[in-house]
Amino acid sequence: MGQTGREAAGRGKGHLVIELGGDGPRVLFADGAARALTGLTLEQLLAAEPEQAARGLTVEVEELDAGHELWVLDSGGGRQEELTQVNAALEAALREAEEANQAKSRFLSNMSHDIRTPMNAIVGMTGIGLAHIDEKARVQDCLNKIKTASAHLMNLVNDVLDMSRIDSGRMTLSEEELTLPDLIHDVAVMMRPQAAEKGQSLALEIGEILEENLVGDPLRLRQIMVNIINNAVKYTPDGGEIRVSFAQRPGEGGKVWLDFSCRDNGIGMSEEFLGRIFQPFERVRNTTISRIEGTGLGMSIVKRLVDNMGGVISVESAEGKGSLFLVSLPIPVSPQRRRGPALPTGAAVLVAEGRDGPAGRIMEFLRQGGLEPVRMASGLAAVTWLTEAQYEGRMPCALLLGQELADMPVLDVAAHVRQLAGRGFPILLVSEEDWAQVEYRATRAGVNAFVPCPLFRSRLLDTLSALTAGGGEGRQAGSGLEGDFSGHRVLLVEDNELNQEIATELLSMTGVQVEVADDGAQAVELFRNSPEGWYELVFMDIQMPVMDGYEAARRIRSLPRTDAGRVWIVAMTANAFVEDVRRSRQAGMDEHLSKPVDVDRLYEILRRRLAPDAAQG
Amino acid sequence: MRPYQEEYIANLRQVAALVWRGRPDGMGFEEYAAQIRENEARAAQLTRRNMELLRGELFPMLDNLFDAGDGELGELEEFSLKLFNGRTELDVGLFCQIRQALLSVARQKNDRAAMIRELYWLGMGRNNMSSKLVGLELVDVEKFINRMRLCFTEAAAYLKFFDVIKDTETRGYIVRSRANISLGQFKAPHEKIRRVKSTLQILQDKGYQELEPGLPWERFIYLTHQNMASSISYSKERVMTAQDMADIMESVYIVHHRQIREAEEQGKQPPAKTMFSYYAIEYYCGISGLDQLLGQLEELLDAADPEDYSPDGMYAMGSLPAFYSQYLQQYPELVPPRREYLQRLYRRTLDYMDASPWDPGEGKLFLCLRQLAYTFVETEGGIPYGEFLQKLLLRFATEVYFHSQAVGEAAKEFCGVILGEDPEFFDDIDFIRAVRDPGEKRRVVEDYAIGCGIFHDVGKISVIELYSRTARQWFEEEEEMARLHVVAGEALLSPRPSTSRYAPAALGHHAWYDGSRGYPDAYRRLECPARQIVDVIGLMDWLEAATNADRRYDGTGESFEDAVKAAIGLEGKRFSPLLTARLRDAATVERIREAFAQGRGKALQGMYDAACQAPMG
Repeated sequence: MGQTGREAAGRGKGHLVIELGGDGPRVLFADGAARALTGLTLEQLLAAEPEQAARGLTVEVEELDAGHELWVLDSGGGRQEELTQVNAALEAALREAEEANQAKSRFLSNMSHDIRTPMNAIVGMTGIGLAHIDEKARVQDCLNKIKTASAHLMNLVNDVLDMSRIDSGRMTLSEEELTLPDLIHDVAVMMRPQAAEKGQSLALEIGEILEENLVGDPLRLRQIMVNIINNAVKYTPDGGEIRVSFAQRPGEGGKVWLDFSCRDNGIGMSEEFLGRIFQPFERVRNTTISRIEGTGLGMSIVKRLVDNMGGVISVESAEGKGSLFLVSLPIPVSPQRRRGPALPTGAAVLVAEGRDGPAGRIMEFLRQGGLEPVRMASGLAAVTWLTEAQYEGRMPCALLLGQELADMPVLDVAAHVRQLAGRGFPILLVSEEDWAQVEYRATRAGVNAFVPCPLFRSRLLDTLSALTAGGGEGRQAGSGLEGDFSGHRVLLVEDNELNQEIATELLSMTGVQVEVADDGAQAVELFRNSPEGWYELVFMDIQMPVMDGYEAARRIRSLPRTDAGRVWIVAMTANAFVEDVRRSRQAGMDEHLSKPVDVDRLYEILRRRLAPDAAQG
Repeated sequence: MRPYQEEYIANLRQVAALVWRGRPDGMGFEEYAAQIRENEARAAQLTRRNMELLRGELFPMLDNLFDAGDGELGELEEFSLKLFNGRTELDVGLFCQIRQALLSVARQKNDRAAMIRELYWLGMGRNNMSSKLVGLELVDVEKFINRMRLCFTEAAAYLKFFDVIKDTETRGYIVRSRANISLGQFKAPHEKIRRVKSTLQILQDKGYQELEPGLPWERFIYLTHQNMASSISYSKERVMTAQDMADIMESVYIVHHRQIREAEEQGKQPPAKTMFSYYAIEYYCGISGLDQLLGQLEELLDAADPEDYSPDGMYAMGSLPAFYSQYLQQYPELVPPRREYLQRLYRRTLDYMDASPWDPGEGKLFLCLRQLAYTFVETEGGIPYGEFLQKLLLRFATEVYFHSQAVGEAAKEFCGVILGEDPEFFDDIDFIRAVRDPGEKRRVVEDYAIGCGIFHDVGKISVIELYSRTARQWFEEEEEMARLHVVAGEALLSPRPSTSRYAPAALGHHAWYDGSRGYPDAYRRLECPARQIVDVIGLMDWLEAATNADRRYDGTGESFEDAVKAAIGLEGKRFSPLLTARLRDAATVERIREAFAQGRGKALQGMYDAACQAPMG
């Protein structure tokens, strides 16, 4: 765009000499600056009315004599413009400040409401609990509600503190070794229950993954993902769908791009709100959702974290249709290269999964690991195939149970296969469920290991490798799954010599040190004379001469030493009535193992009690 | 068999005879009551003896089963076949326990023939047990069915090696196992059809028949057709392919046509069961409509002889009304035009029950009438469902009836005490809160308490064999099955207007007050408006059961005082402290004790009166 004369004149002053005649004032003289300022030629100026010519300019008039004046023209108009610009800037700043102030006021209003709500719940439920102090269930209900409200309050405070820390530049990102499967698993474990509570389907999909071992701040990465998914859960009605996907692209300088997306079919956002979504203290309001909890800081925190990590975040949304958040983060690849898992190359793995998609994925990973998957969609087909394979001596190196079968729950199959295939046969469960929730049922059914979903090749193959003990070529099942429990010591109390022999052999195969007592009295003496914590487990027969198992357990429990109450005592007996189980417990025993001894149950107990991460006590 | 095994079996038979409540045959009430008490005491004594035999002889043997010689194992097998042989049964739970142990030994020894045999028999035992879980949703019983089906599946998988396995007996077990995979419920009829069809193909394969001509192939084929034809007729699902229909009709032709033809040749009416199956299959295969089927059923019902107590007579008078009701239950719009017919039908069925001879074989009649309990359609002005249930309990589940009446009386008494101190105690229940007049409210609450007491254990009719036939303590699997009585009770009571309000008591009376233990998961105490009355029933049920000598628990009932002390000890855990607080009042405790006695007395009197009117067997 070309400059006008006035603009070109800049701040220079022009001069006009005006003659005050009877016909009105007229220009006698105009200097170059005056011409430039007015944009008129000399001739035009001499012919023009002076006031007309100077319109828009600042004019200072000096009287030269009675008939003449000197008009000093200034780009006073420029000053005016400057003033206008300054004013405009000031107005914008004021508006911004007001808006920020309004947002802060809104935030304070929201916060005071949001803080008051859980506080009210805490105060109210405390009152109710106190009023019903004798009613345990009622008090328990109150405490649960207080716990929930407190957690919510804690989140509010944390968000505000986070925001303040980021804004003040006090937040630094850590650089730690992290694995993508762990990160995603943590996110899944945190978010699945929340989605499930609203009956939403939360699908986690894994695209192409180039590097699983990365360097970054796992806490903040998790925070980004959780905040976005949490938002989706919050703004998606009950029964809605949320799809989260993770994939990687090659980056530069030893980095990969981690692309994370979260799509929901929730209430969506207006275009107007989209412009403000990453501003602090903003929340979508929608008439269909009466109350959305939160500080309105989540997305601002996400934006700032993504910016700090050098990534980009974008969002697409349409009201009533849902939203799509896209985050791309450049993440350094860990310099530490992991070794590939040792697997029995070429060995068959039986995959029991009814759904084609997950089964296909499992089989693809197994093939990539050099294994040969065989898939069965039903439990009955899996058992038939295994029975035939066992007869023909071509057992697979493991059974991989998926989440769903066409005819029965997977754990029903696991329990039978454990009996059929024996103690050494690895059974893995691939499941979206939280392991903590299924562990008891799964291990009782004979499952050896768990691989969480979303499924990663490394997780699957590492677990398989661990269970097949590194596996030789075409490893046959039935060997070496017992685990290594060397250094652990158990007391076997059993009067029958053959049973002693069998149990000692089975236990010794795991590396565990077995000490044997022939009856209950001997067991009590051995325990009494052993150093504190010497035995970690006691397998106690019930029917024995001299002193039976019940009495021996009672006496051990009553010994004046700290490990007497702690040592895990397992009753081993064919007395399988419900009442017998109760009696064992009453005598102080912790669990019950039926005879003839089911070796898998025996090993399951060892794994549970002696494995490094086993809960003690 | 060993002497202890002979004795155990003799005791079982004796206990079954002692617990059957026969006709008074001229005895006065007191004399009759004394005899019942005497029989109960004797049954308890025999039960204790049986427990001693198992603990002293069988369990030590199972303890050392790997040590056992072939002779001992053979004796054990022989003993187990006396307990259950597929046709007659004395103690299927113990049978399964023994067979499971024998299977472990067979697996340990890698004795394939023994493994196949034990898998077959264990499958048979489990089929027997799971088939007795009636009136329950598949989801509640599928684990028991799966356990059975997996045993048969593993044994049947050896079909592939039919030519390698040489002995006829083992081959017979393999073929029978293959056919038995299709026993029990499936999620969809086509699954069953597919399995039966594939079994038929195998059985009709000349290759197998020529390999083992010693097997009764024709019989296997006929039984398999029977399996296809009989079970499909009761299916609720109508999604079938043309091929499914063709397969079923083929079996129908072979089974039913033959039966009908044979009857016609002998100048007899074909059995009602055959005719109904035939009509129902035509309906399910789309050959006839529902109106036509109902018309055909009405003809069969009208032709039934109310004095015929043969198995076919019982089927016509007990089972057919149940199937007729099942269709009306599915299509309630068909009820109004058939209301009067239905009322007459139910009246006639009850009259038939009242007029039936009291003899020890009446179990068959109960099985027929129990079917009606699941499909009973309540109509305005007709027999109330509750009345029907009470008659069923009084006649066929007397112990449940006595216990329930006692619990009802005690609950009424206890509620009276509570209302005296806190008139609004039960006001969470809408229909009680709506009553303003205190006297009227007391009456309403007491009636409600009695009803809840009477019906709280009605679900036991679904698992009645566990209560009526077991002369020992339960094993774990049996207890797991027995626990289903709460969901079965709820399923019976909740859909019918006259009994729906008692459903929470049936569902929740075994739940713990603090939610830490108890069952079922489906009952959430804090969400149940009727929880206060459910708590009352739970406490009264527990006190009554604890103080009554029960055959399953060594016959050692506690004294009432001890039971009350124990209940107080479980305050806030098992029982509501609001209730146990009232057990600290000696007068209240005495009132409950008297109510229990009164309830049992009234129940016994009711049974005596009914028995006196019954015809001779």
